[in-house]
Amino acid sequence: MRPTSAPITIYVARDILTMNPMQASATHVAVRDGRILGVGDLAELAQWGEYTLDTRFADCVLLPGLIEGHCHLKEGGMWDMEYLGWFDRLNPWGQTVQGLHSMEAVVQRLTEIDQKMQQSGAAPDKPLLAWGFDPIYFGSERMTVEHLDRASTTRPIVIAHANGHLMNVNSPMLRTAEIDEDTEVEGVVKFKEGPRKGQPTGELQEPAAMFLVLRHVGDAGLLSPMDETGMLNFARLANMQGVTTATDLVNTLSEADCAVLESALAKDECCVRILPAFKAFHGTHGATQGAEHVKAMTQRNTDKLRYGLVKMMLDGSIQGFSSRMRWPGHFNGAPNGIWVTAPAQYEADFEIYHRAGLHIHTHTNGDEASLAAIDAIERVLTRAPRPDHRHTLQHAQMVDAPMFRRMASLGLCVNLFANHLWYWGDQHYEMTMGPDRAHRLDACGSALAAGVSLAIHSDAPVTPLGPLFTAWCAANRITPKGRVLGEKERLSVMQALHAITLGAAWTLKMDHEIGSIEAGKRADFCVLRDHPLTLGAGKLKDARVWGTVLGGQAFPAHKA
Amino acid sequence: MTHNATSAPVPVTVIGGFLGAGKTSLVMHWLQQAQGQRIAVLVNDFGELNIDAEWLSARNSDTIALSNGCVCCQIGSDLSQALLRVLDNPAPFDAIVIEASGVSDPWPIAQMALADKRLGLHGVLVVVDVQAVRQHAADPLLHDSLMRQLRSADLLVVNKTDLCSPAEQQDCTAWLQQMLGPVPCVYSQHGRLARAFLQSEWMPEPAVGVGPAHACTPHCSHDHASEHQHHATDHSALFISDCRSPGAVFHTEDLRAQLRQTPAWIMRLKGWVRTHEHGWSEVQFAGRHASVRRARHVPTQARVLTIAQRAQPAAQALASWLDGVFEGREVNV
Repeated sequence: MRPTSAPITIYVARDILTMNPMQASATHVAVRDGRILGVGDLAELAQWGEYTLDTRFADCVLLPGLIEGHCHLKEGGMWDMEYLGWFDRLNPWGQTVQGLHSMEAVVQRLTEIDQKMQQSGAAPDKPLLAWGFDPIYFGSERMTVEHLDRASTTRPIVIAHANGHLMNVNSPMLRTAEIDEDTEVEGVVKFKEGPRKGQPTGELQEPAAMFLVLRHVGDAGLLSPMDETGMLNFARLANMQGVTTATDLVNTLSEADCAVLESALAKDECCVRILPAFKAFHGTHGATQGAEHVKAMTQRNTDKLRYGLVKMMLDGSIQGFSSRMRWPGHFNGAPNGIWVTAPAQYEADFEIYHRAGLHIHTHTNGDEASLAAIDAIERVLTRAPRPDHRHTLQHAQMVDAPMFRRMASLGLCVNLFANHLWYWGDQHYEMTMGPDRAHRLDACGSALAAGVSLAIHSDAPVTPLGPLFTAWCAANRITPKGRVLGEKERLSVMQALHAITLGAAWTLKMDHEIGSIEAGKRADFCVLRDHPLTLGAGKLKDARVWGTVLGGQAFPAHKA
Repeated sequence: MTHNATSAPVPVTVIGGFLGAGKTSLVMHWLQQAQGQRIAVLVNDFGELNIDAEWLSARNSDTIALSNGCVCCQIGSDLSQALLRVLDNPAPFDAIVIEASGVSDPWPIAQMALADKRLGLHGVLVVVDVQAVRQHAADPLLHDSLMRQLRSADLLVVNKTDLCSPAEQQDCTAWLQQMLGPVPCVYSQHGRLARAFLQSEWMPEPAVGVGPAHACTPHCSHDHASEHQHHATDHSALFISDCRSPGAVFHTEDLRAQLRQTPAWIMRLKGWVRTHEHGWSEVQFAGRHASVRRARHVPTQARVLTIAQRAQPAAQALASWLDGVFEGREVNV
């Protein structure tokens, strides 16, 4: 009668939060062939026949494997450099790197790293490369060679800023790169006064100025291509955060990049499913070829690797003052940002990918960009209706209720950048958009009220990977200075958990496979030591993660 | 014309302009009229390039080699990498042209040409669709991006003038000058712009102690047109020039201030003069960007070469404007 080919394992847990509203909670889940055979109590599941009872999660709570709908594999590829960010950050080896809250602390950290490099026998001119520094938290104080030369007057130091547009270097690096008072490249910042007037400060803005340095140190950091080590580091970070499925939301899908994805994911220890999104912000004539390429790549899909997403991009970032904002613009009076893609070209390219049957995720940060996307997509859908397209606006941080209502009527999904509430919430309130719009920043409540399918994300490595932290941001909307931004926009704990599981799965067209614990789906679990509903909204981020189960295979985050 | 390891930097011209303005037509025109010059063109994609099979010599995913020695390169995700690929080519190029994307500001892109000693920034040229530009400027979504782009131009190429009346062309020019102030403006149809706007042979070489300094005269063309007579013809039909040796010692701030108010018909200016701040200094001006900086070489005499548009009432105005900037100052150190 029954197919009995593969063995059945039944896991018992303190609680199983299934995210299936028809069976919200259970004590046991049966797994066979990497998939969920049944959910319920032991007596019910035992009817499937011979089984092994696995009790290792008896004190744990199972959630569906968490889904990060907008991150980048670079989260795992940054760690051959030193992290110098303002906030504490978990590295792939499970250690927390302390955040640095003053220039003094940055200098001290660099001094220590230089000493360690000396002790380990590194060549004295081997560059010290660092990432994650963000001057927005330091007010008007700018980092200069006067800070960095105190860390070393011999070893070149290069600090890439968190926004990717700037870097700081010390005097040895300036000398190596032959950057001096006569260097004409705009973006080489020079002292305006004082004894060093006219000399470079060591701050380099935008690609041309950074190029002066990058050609000497190689493609450091964000620019370096992804390799297998980075992929495995990403999988470790995902595992520690309970993530079993993640996107790589800009990928060239070149043969080299695909080879890295395919060889790394073929390994068991690379315990995560990846959906790379094709980088479709290209020249004016790339779309037809791009669409064919993505469709051809889907032939190479596996259980752990899914091609088929397309990423488009309209504007820049809010904290970088490069997003496209509607009236009244920036709170501090900065001019409007930039179009990465002209709206007309976006519409033309979107239509090509849409007609090819592909699933498009569009980066829009400012509300003018979001509105341009909604307008363009409405016209495309009028010309070429397509059921269940699930095109998604990514970030969409300034979308308001009227725009959400239009999105709902067009069948658009949203993946809101909830981590911004914490990481830049105070800067948005004080500098970029002012109080009113900061209160509706990443308006999760408005999205749900309008009936828009909702996911929330980290955009790692822009902010750290960690969906439970992201859920905490959306449920509390608290800033580091203690402000609450838009109390009414808060999600309940269950809504927040939905947004990092089934909600995210929906925006990736994966909800039939993952996102909830129910019969037939893949056996992907996030295993927690603490019960999120007991912790409540305030402590959601503190839930301890045991690890994950991916396709029925358990991956503890911390080896016993 | 040949370059060797010690020859002048490869001139880089950046072409900006909104979607559909005619950037690609212009680039194609230059490629087809290269006449022995080896031009490397960097474009965002190959889609719009319509290259006849007879021109094609070799093609791979990111490079198209033409039978006349020119190449087109796809920029891909990183302009600096594409530029390095061009510079690493064993056979050096005479000129590099970068086509900026339709919505980007070409000026930051032009900075790339200042970031490598093997490159020299020749200028930013922005192509304008004579009929569409004011319409685009009226679109609130596009206005600021378009103006940013136009303000970056050293030279505006008002294109598609075959599709409009002389009055429309005049209106458009007046509007551009009203919005942007004095900036050189030329007209074209189907992107057919004389290649003289790309060539850089007129640039005076630094006389680094080689032989006696020659005496320059107005219309000095002896050191730039010998190999390609058609260049000279092309060139002198379009431009007038002035070459002089100012003996004064200048203040850099004064010079910069003067060069900020250059009349629209002055196309380019380059040379070496002495300044109180830096001693021998290099002076450069193109369109609307001027610089005065410490000279990297020691010239044997001061020298300033200026090119202006012939089609303007500039013949006398050029000399008198330059007199105002460079002469009539005390000559001592």
